[in-house]
Amino acid sequence: MIGFLTLSKREVVRFLKDAIDTIAPPTISVILFLLIFGVGLGSRLGDVHGVPYIQFMTPGLLLLAIVRNAFLNPAYSLFQSRWYGNIADFLVSPLSAEQIALAVLLGGVARGMIVGALVLAAAWLVTGVSVAQPTWALGYALAVAVAFAGLGCIVGLWTRGWEGVGAIDTFVLDPLVMLGGVFYSLDMVRGVPIIEPLSALNPFTYITEGFRAAMLGGAEAHVLIGLVLTLALGTICIGAALVLFRVGYHLKA
Amino acid sequence: MRTPAIFIEHLHKSYGDLVAVDDLSLEIQRGEFFGLLGPNGAGKTTTINAIVGLVKPTSGHITVLGLDAVRDYRRVHRLVGIAFQELILDGSFLNVREILVYQAGYFGIPPRRARAKADELLERFGLWEKRSARVQELSGGQKRRLVLAKALIHDPEIVILDEPTAGADVEMRLQLWEMLQQLHAQGKTILLTTHYLEEAERLCQRVGILHHGRLVSLGSPEELARERGQAHLEDVFLELIRSEQA
Ligand SMILES: Nc1ncnc2c1ncn2[C@@H]1O[C@H](COP(=O)(O)OP(=O)(O)O)[C@@H](O)[C@H]1O
Ligand SMILES: [Mg+2]
Repeated sequence: MIGFLTLSKREVVRFLKDAIDTIAPPTISVILFLLIFGVGLGSRLGDVHGVPYIQFMTPGLLLLAIVRNAFLNPAYSLFQSRWYGNIADFLVSPLSAEQIALAVLLGGVARGMIVGALVLAAAWLVTGVSVAQPTWALGYALAVAVAFAGLGCIVGLWTRGWEGVGAIDTFVLDPLVMLGGVFYSLDMVRGVPIIEPLSALNPFTYITEGFRAAMLGGAEAHVLIGLVLTLALGTICIGAALVLFRVGYHLKA
Repeated sequence: MRTPAIFIEHLHKSYGDLVAVDDLSLEIQRGEFFGLLGPNGAGKTTTINAIVGLVKPTSGHITVLGLDAVRDYRRVHRLVGIAFQELILDGSFLNVREILVYQAGYFGIPPRRARAKADELLERFGLWEKRSARVQELSGGQKRRLVLAKALIHDPEIVILDEPTAGADVEMRLQLWEMLQQLHAQGKTILLTTHYLEEAERLCQRVGILHHGRLVSLGSPEELARERGQAHLEDVFLELIRSEQA
């Protein structure tokens, strides 16, 4: 247990010591969004589903921040440790492959939740948004962080270069999230070519809608559908990550 | 008979067409100071990395104090301390002392004892003044000593060193030799790889010579020299390598 806690601590300390590069940028960019849409354009955009647009957008921005940070931390940390070779320090210790995987995963969850908390605090200051169902929203956010940290573990093992992590971020995660209802709900884009079918097929749309419902108080069915999708994604990613660690994929010669 | 410290049975490792280790069988006794010799690319690193599970054998198997190196890797790792050939240090955000404290943690040593153990090793390896330094500020010799200290953090019964004196100057080599002899005197089993024949002659009770992944000779340095009618291990080595190539 001490071994697992030590490695988990390493994974958290690694990004905290580098907060200027890990915590600050995503938090600041969301605060800018909030300022522009909330303070600046807010009154001109009107209400969406009975709430000001900025409040409507906040859960999406929050989810975006959690997803990216939970993903990036394990992906970069693992690849960095492989690149410099210090991953061998963990691999020759009595830590099990599963313990290493979970500690790295935990680092991602921690970073996702810390950035998420900062974004939520900023959103509350700027827009006064409140959380309708705090327990559901927190559990939901955690499930999302765990799922995407799992994806980050897979990518951190898979990639052969720094650019691999960036590529997944830019070409997979960004489109998935941007076309996944961060800025609109599905019924706002009915009949819009390309956007509607892409959004409707994108599982992330339902994950966002569910989180929005949990945060702003919406249909319970949305919350449950989104949560089930998130848990399914999480189970697949973590299962795959554990298998890769156990066989030593890109870890053992 | 006592359980050998390290028991390697028909170890075979290939990378595609390249055979890195070819049917290696070897027994290293507890308390022994053993040297694995061979020119570059002979398969030394592959062999010792297989002992700690960083290399997956193509076939064959390895036990450490009777424990299977693959199945029982967690218990094996408690018994073995390894200093890699490359000076691998987790220095991107940890300082010298933290590197040792964290390493102790991975081995399950609680924080207070971890710090005490780290400090003891920093003293012993002449790194106390550098305890707050970043890895990038260390000289090659200091990094080498830190790598060694890291391998000893959990008081392993078996110490494996992959070319510990590669690139070291004369003074440092002598220092390292003395440290290794002290460890051996404390009862540790030591497995060392080197291509310095003098080093093997001075330190090792027995040596095995690897060439193209095969064990071509095994015995005490004196025995090997006597058998082949040579004065020094170096001449035995050169003769073996030349005859292999012929
Ligand atoms: N990961 C690897 N992939 C492919 N070939 C490798 C790998 N590791 C080692 N080799 C090859 O295996 C052989 C033995 O290497 P190594 O065990 O490092 O030798 P030594 O440590 O004795 O110098 C060399 O030919 C080396 O190029
Ligand atoms: Mg080598």
